[in-house]
Amino acid sequence: MHRLPTLLSGIFLVFLTSWLGLVAYPSLHLGRLTPVPDPDNGGSFPPTYGGQAIAGQRVYATEGCISCHSQQIRQLSITTSDVDRGWGVRPSVARDYLRDSTAFLGSRRLGQDLSNVGVRRPDAKWHLIHLYHPAAVCEGSVMPCFSHLFLTRKIQGQRADDALNLTGDDAPKEGYEVVPTAEAKNLVAYLLALRHDYPLPEAPVKKNGAAK
Amino acid sequence: MSDHTLPHHHVNSGHEPFDSKAIDASVRLPVIILFGNAIHWLLIGSLLSLIVSVKLIAPGFLGGVSFMTYGRLAPMARDLMLYGWASQAALGAGIWLMARLCGRPLGGEYSGGFGGSLLRTLIISATVLWNLAVLLGTLAILAGYSSGVEWLEYPNWASAMLLLSFLLIGIWAVLLFDRRSTGRAEVAQWYLVAAFCWFPWVYGTANLLLVWKPIQASAQGPIQSWYCGSLLALWLLPVALAGAYALLPRLLGSHLNRRHLATLGFWMLLFLGGWNGMDRLIGGPVPAWMTSAGVVAGVLFLIPIFMVSMNLFGMSRNKTVVEASYPIRFLLMGLYALVIVGVIGALASLPDVSGAVRFTAFTEAKTQLWILGAISLPLFAVLYESLPQLLGRDCWSPVLTGRHYTLTLVGIAMLVTLMLLGGLFTGIALADPTVSFLNITSYSYPFHLMECVAQLLLLIAVLTLGANITRALAGDYLLNKHNGK
Amino acid sequence: MNQDHHHLQQEQGSEDTNRPLSPWLVGMFMFALCWGAFYLAFNSGGFSQDVYESNAVNWAGGGTQAAAPVDPKVVGKRLYTQNCVVCHQANGMGVAGQFPPLAGSEWVLTEGNHAENHLVMLVLNGLQGPFVVKGQTYNNAMVPWKQLSDEQIADILTYIRSDWGNNAPAISPEFVTQIRKAEAAQSDSWTQEQLLAVPPVKPNVTSGATPASK
Repeated sequence: MHRLPTLLSGIFLVFLTSWLGLVAYPSLHLGRLTPVPDPDNGGSFPPTYGGQAIAGQRVYATEGCISCHSQQIRQLSITTSDVDRGWGVRPSVARDYLRDSTAFLGSRRLGQDLSNVGVRRPDAKWHLIHLYHPAAVCEGSVMPCFSHLFLTRKIQGQRADDALNLTGDDAPKEGYEVVPTAEAKNLVAYLLALRHDYPLPEAPVKKNGAAK
Repeated sequence: MSDHTLPHHHVNSGHEPFDSKAIDASVRLPVIILFGNAIHWLLIGSLLSLIVSVKLIAPGFLGGVSFMTYGRLAPMARDLMLYGWASQAALGAGIWLMARLCGRPLGGEYSGGFGGSLLRTLIISATVLWNLAVLLGTLAILAGYSSGVEWLEYPNWASAMLLLSFLLIGIWAVLLFDRRSTGRAEVAQWYLVAAFCWFPWVYGTANLLLVWKPIQASAQGPIQSWYCGSLLALWLLPVALAGAYALLPRLLGSHLNRRHLATLGFWMLLFLGGWNGMDRLIGGPVPAWMTSAGVVAGVLFLIPIFMVSMNLFGMSRNKTVVEASYPIRFLLMGLYALVIVGVIGALASLPDVSGAVRFTAFTEAKTQLWILGAISLPLFAVLYESLPQLLGRDCWSPVLTGRHYTLTLVGIAMLVTLMLLGGLFTGIALADPTVSFLNITSYSYPFHLMECVAQLLLLIAVLTLGANITRALAGDYLLNKHNGK
Repeated sequence: MNQDHHHLQQEQGSEDTNRPLSPWLVGMFMFALCWGAFYLAFNSGGFSQDVYESNAVNWAGGGTQAAAPVDPKVVGKRLYTQNCVVCHQANGMGVAGQFPPLAGSEWVLTEGNHAENHLVMLVLNGLQGPFVVKGQTYNNAMVPWKQLSDEQIADILTYIRSDWGNNAPAISPEFVTQIRKAEAAQSDSWTQEQLLAVPPVKPNVTSGATPASK
């Protein structure tokens, strides 16, 4: 304790315990999990992401969605409220995050949990309008408007296919339309791909699970 | 200033202890620059925290600049408080404490000459690098280059710069310990060695596995939680405790009466610190034993806190001495905050409580009390104690110091209480599946509103500190000018 | 803040003493450690990598991962609050002259010539034209809800048949599936005549709302 080498060894050894348990073990075990084949079709659980969804993860990260939204349904021995609330049909397990580049587990729920939002809200158009002006579709929402993910531009000839159907105060002025940028579309593709409702060996799903 | 020697004091045989003036002179510039920059970031971090809390009650606030969303500003504020303020102040405090405790100036025998200047230049350059990393990292988050990992949002190059600059500064503190002139190591010195060794390992590991070369995401949860626990309990808290152990006995003219507890407390804190972070993941997508480990670590963390408190609160205190000294008061308040953090943490780790309050303001309150109370208050104490000695004169304004003290305490108390209550309320509502989420959002409105007021008080407190230190340093500059230096 | 007050480079700690701890404190400390050890031993699912639920919840034994079945009325109430409350109100009383009540409604309680299949059909496809409920005529349109799943519709119907003084048996998701298939040809909203023209179909007597398959 009074000489540097002794102190350092002690510090090293004690510190090693949490490092082994929380860094080495996850890396070696949880980090080596593989997908499970889907018996009904040729795919796997968790289902792989498309290219847009992979790009959408980056948008999720840079927009800081994790500051308000979590992506984990908690184990039932801790609380059943996540499942009861319809945020998921079963608790989330480590394997669910296989296909992510970053596990956006989150630590704050200023907004809803998003781990199964692709099942709960499968409508891309709803998501786009929600991102543009959340309070328009969710009254009283404190989510900020992500209007920088959209372009307001003059209508060139015909209205674009992906222009948003905005009404009332949100609607752009006459002759203009609001279209999502590639970032917005990628983010929505990612959100639509978020689901933890498939069965896994360590997390089976009852046939008539809780409502989506 | 002459050396007072107490009758039973004996110095390590062999050579005279270095003059404390020489030691202070050797670290003066680096420490002042570290503290000064830290306060600067504290100011900006507090301002951002205020803006972020306003956005919770008025989502359209600053909505005109649409990319300044909550999701970008909140990580900026958090990282500024962690890396801009707390870590940098800990570096400054740590270097000063280590140098004085080891009785050895930075650079040893060479401190007065060219070698010493070179060393100081190195450390100051590293400090510049650190601040550049914080500045550019923060701007990168704003511009949309955040990594998306909580508490590690700086892009790769910024976190690498941060780690490098830490290594360039921290190594000297550890070397000071090795070459120290005093015989027995005291408790504060163990904490400092531990802290300076751990930060690089913790920060490097976490960044490597989560940001630089991310491992498979199924494993990232525990590592990120371990990082959060380790950063607070194994880097920042040890420096704060070092300040408490070093200064309280001397300022109170007392001594520890349960030294064995100090030893035990040190090792237990080290052991539990990393595991304590798992309370962020109780019930999460990790094997059951990790959840249970988080529960146990959260509750048992009270033990080292208790041991530290028994020692430091157990020292005899003369009321008039305490009331006359702001460093003592800041230290004691910091220790109280630590005890409360321990109690909240223990409660929030219990499975049923965690099931209700996790993800609410309740757990956020604990983090805020950690950073603003248990860590920042002792660091303020070291600042208030060290600057007069570094500058060689009484430099603080009693009025501004008093204002800073009061406003900080009131702000912290208000913020933490509101967040605890609001979080509890929200958590109970969230546990009832028939209450719609948007209703819960509207119920939390009054709490968020009052939290803005608390953040405003904290901002004003920091502004007071800024004015105080500017006056202290400017006074020095003016004095030098006057003396024709 | 007087720099003569103390000297950090002096040895501190030579005066430190080691006052013994009270046995109570040592006892509490030991107790805490034992608690920690036992808790960890019994709640870690055998320290297996694949066990995510701690054992504390599995009193019945067997099937460590079984998700507790959720009460359909709880789910139904939440869905009702999200989807139906705007018109039919939280108290099930509707709005006079505009939206019919559900409390005491013969359509919900499936009394007389109103059967369960009619109830499911009007939720799936919606309603148009004049519609009589409890002696009052309403002439408003009801939107179709066919985008909800069979489980969701069954849960909502189970809920509305059990609240506000209503007391009728639950509706099962299988029944909703059956009716959805039977009336798949209908694309427009129902009028009252069309609805009542369809012969009544009551669900097979089941053992309650618990799903048959696992």
